[in-house]
Amino acid sequence: MGRRVGWGKGLVYLFLILGGAVSVLPMVYMISTSLRPNGALYEYPPRFFPAPGSVTAENYGYIFQQQKFYWNFLNSLAVSALTVLLAAAVATALAFCIARFRFPGRAFLFGLVIGTMIIPGTTLIIPQFRLASFLHMTNSLWGLIPFYVAWVIPFSTFMIKGFIEGIPRDFDEAIYMDGGSVFTVFHTIAVPLASPAVASVSIFNFLTAWEEYPWALTVLNDSAKRTLPIAIAGFFGEHQFTQWGYVFAMSVSSLVPVLIVFICFQKYFVTGLQAGGIKG
Amino acid sequence: METKSIKNRLQILFLLLPGILLFTVFTVYPIGKLLQMSFFRGGYGAVDGGFAGWQNYREVLTDPTFQTSFVNTLVYTLITVPTQMAIGLLVAVLIHSIPRFQVGFRVVYYLPVITSWVIVSLVFKYIFNTEGLLNYFLWQVVHLTGGNVAWLDSRWGGLTIAMLLGIWKGVGWNMVVFLAALQSVPKELYESAAIDGCGAAQKFFYITLPSIRSTILFALVMLTIGGFNVFTSIKMITDGKPMHQTETVLTWMYYKGFSEGSFGYAAALSFIVAMVLVFLAVLQFRAMKDRTEEGRG
Amino acid sequence: MKRSKKILAFALAAALMLTALTACKGQTSESSPSSEAAQKNSQSAQSTAPKKTVTLNFWHHYSAQSPENETLMKVLIPKFEEENPEYKINATSYEWAKLHDKILVSANGGTLPDVARLDIAWVPEFQKLDLLVPLDREMSDFGQASGALLESAMSTADVGGSYYGLALNTNTKILFYNKAALQKAEISAPKTMEEFVAAVKKLSGKNDKGQQIWGLNEPALAGWNVLPYIWSMGGEITNEDYTKATGYLNGPKTVQAIHMLANLYKDGAMTGFNSGDIPMTDGFGTGRYGMLLEGPWKIAEMKGSYPDFSYGTADMPAGEGGSHSVLGGEDIGVFRSADKEGAWKFAKFMTGEFAQEEMAKCGLIPVNKTALDSQTVKDASFAPFLNAIVNAKARPPVASWSEIDNELTTAMTSIVKDGADAQKTLDSLAAKVDALLAKK
Repeated sequence: MGRRVGWGKGLVYLFLILGGAVSVLPMVYMISTSLRPNGALYEYPPRFFPAPGSVTAENYGYIFQQQKFYWNFLNSLAVSALTVLLAAAVATALAFCIARFRFPGRAFLFGLVIGTMIIPGTTLIIPQFRLASFLHMTNSLWGLIPFYVAWVIPFSTFMIKGFIEGIPRDFDEAIYMDGGSVFTVFHTIAVPLASPAVASVSIFNFLTAWEEYPWALTVLNDSAKRTLPIAIAGFFGEHQFTQWGYVFAMSVSSLVPVLIVFICFQKYFVTGLQAGGIKG
Repeated sequence: METKSIKNRLQILFLLLPGILLFTVFTVYPIGKLLQMSFFRGGYGAVDGGFAGWQNYREVLTDPTFQTSFVNTLVYTLITVPTQMAIGLLVAVLIHSIPRFQVGFRVVYYLPVITSWVIVSLVFKYIFNTEGLLNYFLWQVVHLTGGNVAWLDSRWGGLTIAMLLGIWKGVGWNMVVFLAALQSVPKELYESAAIDGCGAAQKFFYITLPSIRSTILFALVMLTIGGFNVFTSIKMITDGKPMHQTETVLTWMYYKGFSEGSFGYAAALSFIVAMVLVFLAVLQFRAMKDRTEEGRG
Repeated sequence: MKRSKKILAFALAAALMLTALTACKGQTSESSPSSEAAQKNSQSAQSTAPKKTVTLNFWHHYSAQSPENETLMKVLIPKFEEENPEYKINATSYEWAKLHDKILVSANGGTLPDVARLDIAWVPEFQKLDLLVPLDREMSDFGQASGALLESAMSTADVGGSYYGLALNTNTKILFYNKAALQKAEISAPKTMEEFVAAVKKLSGKNDKGQQIWGLNEPALAGWNVLPYIWSMGGEITNEDYTKATGYLNGPKTVQAIHMLANLYKDGAMTGFNSGDIPMTDGFGTGRYGMLLEGPWKIAEMKGSYPDFSYGTADMPAGEGGSHSVLGGEDIGVFRSADKEGAWKFAKFMTGEFAQEEMAKCGLIPVNKTALDSQTVKDASFAPFLNAIVNAKARPPVASWSEIDNELTTAMTSIVKDGADAQKTLDSLAAKVDALLAKK
């Protein structure tokens, strides 16, 4: 019996390791390509790892020398950070009210918020562009943020609401007994206790804003205002040049903050999802 | 329930207002505008051209390229969604069962999820290049093919890349979602099953699956919506080529709307897709509900 | 409480950062004037500095990593800003096709730039949408500015008798061939169409590494690509006043030309328009493509990426119709919603002797007559292109050309790639094009 259990567990680990390798393989290949000179891209036969001795950081050098890269990076960072903060504030407030209070139109509001998730966000680009032009928000980072926030509100509200419903109402009651107001309940009970859900939702929102492509492509013009995904895709010339080395160097560089955020906050993923709206 | 004083009511309103405002202006209004646009002839020259009634809808539904894109999207969804759910669930179950390294494996499997679509699409495009690594591997190393496969030059080749990408990227999300669900299944259920002499497979099918039913439904609905939403990967990998054969409903909408300026058409297309998604969601809810009721009976 | 304070601080920092980012951009357009400028006499060449500097938005399709873009950003724009301190140029590079779409989208949203580099094929289209300013009617010194430029190039900006841009560049395509490959195959540069087809076939096959090589690369199957073959083999696509396509587009000589291309593709002698094909420059420089039909920019590209590669150039091979390549080029146009004075100044600058000569160093053939006589142009190997331009034909200057080109590409692809019947496909294409030409 003991040996069979040993074999079983061994197989499980083996499978997981193989699967993990598949998960990571493309990214490793990307990193390895970014460390090759552009001329080596058409070598035959193609190699997975760069030929020993031809490892070079010239692609990264090129990228970091471009002033634009830093702008693109900062743009993405600013937009993502602001989107996350705004969305967290707004969605939590919304979720709290929907979860805790009965008010006229409550069911309708919640239904509307969830229902709009059915409409593919990309289809709204056309009327949203007209709206942005009308509000003179085009070619500006401010043209991105409100739309991103509105975009993520449904899912965030849904998850946070589910979580708040798990918080016992006794806490609220206690505050009210002591003469506290709704605001008091909000910032002493709801916000702190819902923070795991807010954190996990915020990570999703950060990723969404960080890598969003179609809307940023439509709204932004100036190269200095572009966000990273646009900059990376923009490296793709027409048929004449495919400078994969630069593309991947830039890609790897743009993945670093995402990785940092993820590794630091990864424990929130599971806990947040667990207590979040999944049960509902 | 709670004190509903004027002050509290005002505070509730204050908390609700920003969300409602943002949402209405930036989501609801565009949806309405989109609906309106779908009934008008729109274009670059005549932006609010005349009223077109159902003409746009008719044009979309009879357009062979739209039909191609719809089939492509449907195939994409039907293949990627169950596959990534199955693999994700399997991985979740396995990770759930091992005593150590859980966090490490979680991180590794989740990495594709946090990598942006733009980047991974380009990586896959590079790997699947006609003279790229994968072709070399398939041809010269494992001798599965007789020559270089032109993945990017055919409809199903291009879609295959996108589907493989979709599955590869989605497994991690499913794993996390199902892990969360698995961790909330009470251990006692498994213990009493073990006492009754149930094996691993029986435990899985009779305890695990039913307990995480709502999670499965949640994932199914979200992933189906996501499947129909496929955009960036197709745009980066094939951009609809060859000759719009690899378009999906959204990339086709984008092309018609922005490269051609046929706004009315694009708007009508959007709503047709939305209707399909509603229909699918309702279907999925019904299917799950029936089974739950059967289980109870 | 600590956490909320942290979040608050973070939020403030992010908001400050964002405002700083947007403000930094704003600074360039709102710098205060220098007092000395106000004291300067207003000479003919310099105007008194106004209170605010105006930012002009210039959109172009000089490839972002190209020497042309480097020259623009590092030499031309600073020079312009130096000569015209009241203006600042905000240049944005777009890929060619995206620029076309972006202009259309922005026209819709009211966010057009001030001035843009336009493919000559787009001018009728944008004029029809009333986006461009008729420069000859609105600018008093138009005659002077345009008089310095080649008449044939200026004609590309003429729509219905008015000029909607200044010619910026002119170009055409000639044959590029791999010297070593031709030597090895013991053939010389083809002069006639028959020699050409034979050469393409001879250069195809496999190289020493066992990889496939092609005699000819065509990066796409649009008008720009197929027209040289059609015209040189005696075919046409429309009648002389561009009102009819039937009888021309599906005429026997045109069909013959398309058949030639389709057969070459079928025999594995030609490729390049498939997504998965090796990119043109890389393929040529690594010996995978034997010949190309390309413009002067290819010289700069090859020098940049494959400086040691030895290639030769020759005229478009002559067929029954002679040797006719396709005329290309760009015009610089001013938009109706622009700061017209500033945009016009920039347009004149870009077509002036200095800018034209600088761009000539990057392989862009100038249209400025003085620049054409300069030593730079004489040193740059433009001679073969200039000769070919004389015989080059222009694509139909109609507003619906973009749409026609799309239909043409679809038809060509189905014939060449999918093996559709050439005559039948061209028949139905001609009917479609008739309708589009009627829209004009």
